[in-house]
Amino acid sequence: MDMLYWFTPWEESALVAVVAGTAAILFLRGCGRSHPRLQQKLYFWTGLILLYLVSHTQFDYYAEHQFFIHRLQHLVLHHLGPFLIILSSPWSTLLAGMPHPGRQLCAQIAEWKPLLYLDRVLCKPIIAVTLFSALIGFWLLPSVHFTAMIDWRLYRLMNWSMFINGLMFWGIVLHQRPILSVRLTPGSRIAMMLAVIPPQIVLGALIFFATREIYPIYTICGRAIGGVSAIADQQIGGIILWIHGAMMSAIGILIVARNELMPGKAREQEQPG
Amino acid sequence: MHPKLKKREREVEMRLSRAGVPLRRYILSMTIALALSGCIAEKPWHVEEVTGHLPDLNFSLTSDHGSTVTASTYEGYLLLMYFGFTRCTAECPVSMARLAHVMRLLGDDANRARILFVTLDPRRDTPQILHRYVTQFDSEHAVGLTGTIADIERLTKQYRAAYRPRSRIDEAGDIEHGDAVYIFDTKGQARLLATSSDSDESLAKDLQRLIKTNY
Repeated sequence: MDMLYWFTPWEESALVAVVAGTAAILFLRGCGRSHPRLQQKLYFWTGLILLYLVSHTQFDYYAEHQFFIHRLQHLVLHHLGPFLIILSSPWSTLLAGMPHPGRQLCAQIAEWKPLLYLDRVLCKPIIAVTLFSALIGFWLLPSVHFTAMIDWRLYRLMNWSMFINGLMFWGIVLHQRPILSVRLTPGSRIAMMLAVIPPQIVLGALIFFATREIYPIYTICGRAIGGVSAIADQQIGGIILWIHGAMMSAIGILIVARNELMPGKAREQEQPG
Repeated sequence: MHPKLKKREREVEMRLSRAGVPLRRYILSMTIALALSGCIAEKPWHVEEVTGHLPDLNFSLTSDHGSTVTASTYEGYLLLMYFGFTRCTAECPVSMARLAHVMRLLGDDANRARILFVTLDPRRDTPQILHRYVTQFDSEHAVGLTGTIADIERLTKQYRAAYRPRSRIDEAGDIEHGDAVYIFDTKGQARLLATSSDSDESLAKDLQRLIKTNY
């Protein structure tokens, strides 16, 4: 009973439940038809379960009231979760899980002109890198962070924007085949992952080395974990951003490089069955 | 348009023209003035402003007199809500003493304000204990509020105040909590968020401003 309590949502969000549920059902149905590899299934489910656990369980309470846990939540929402989901190349499985009209609708949307235009803009390396780094910086601006942590609507907007942007960025850099109409070379995809490292290091270091409390909201509203001082909390959060955020790029670069060096194996992974 | 109304409009226009201000120009200047007043930022508050970001006050709890009270009981009063517990030895007594001092600074305006001390330890803090506690600080303006754990959890959640009733309250006797003072206007709308880092004087100034603009 008490164990189950930890998996109940701290703040119920119908949108999170519906999106996670739909993705899970589509993938399950798709697995029966398109038979993805075990590795793909593993990546997809780990990604989806991690995303759900950090955003729709009691974990969310701790993310609201402890800066370093908030950074862990964003590490999953912006980096790890989308990274694993993209790595599982779930699109063909999800499509296979859709009923026929759904598949037709997706095909129509994929040919929709404004979407193709938007795709070309968002896939420009400079724009993708700027969006990815600026979004982290924007929600960490002290005044913005303060308001986002007290206003539940902004809080949800922050978490959703991080997740969607994460999905976009990792989708562009890890995906081998063209995204709609845009094809990027492995070199530029590696360069994009390298380019997002310095901003995260600078932001993480700024937070880590700050001698005063930059985010007083956690002291004002109370911290979830006793015995951790405001500065210690801030420093752990800074370290998470500094090292772990940049670490995901390193892993991504290794994956892209491996796929280039072993094209046969990569193709086999991309087109299962 | 009704002919009578049209006639009346013409009369108004003529009267304004006679005063040297043609109606059109009058309307135009008023529009510009309104637009400009919207653009010029209002003077910032000394403490953090949260208007529009936190929900309106809404609760049903038991007061230190033992009666059931709701947000509407305090309609017409400026409210300063603080979450704490009577056995707290660190922040709570300091904050309550501070709020009592702010009340003294307000002078007569304090009669339009109430301090709501909401307990985070409802199992121990009965209305009697709360009454004894709040009257030590300010017997006129402070009200102690208690209720079920679920009621209090709902209220803290609304205002994003840290509160984990399931954590080890009983063993340690200490509860992790913030030091925010949530300030509501006379209509129960959340307006300001004061902390221990704000001076008593600046808090009093903001409260006076809120009282002036709210009546």
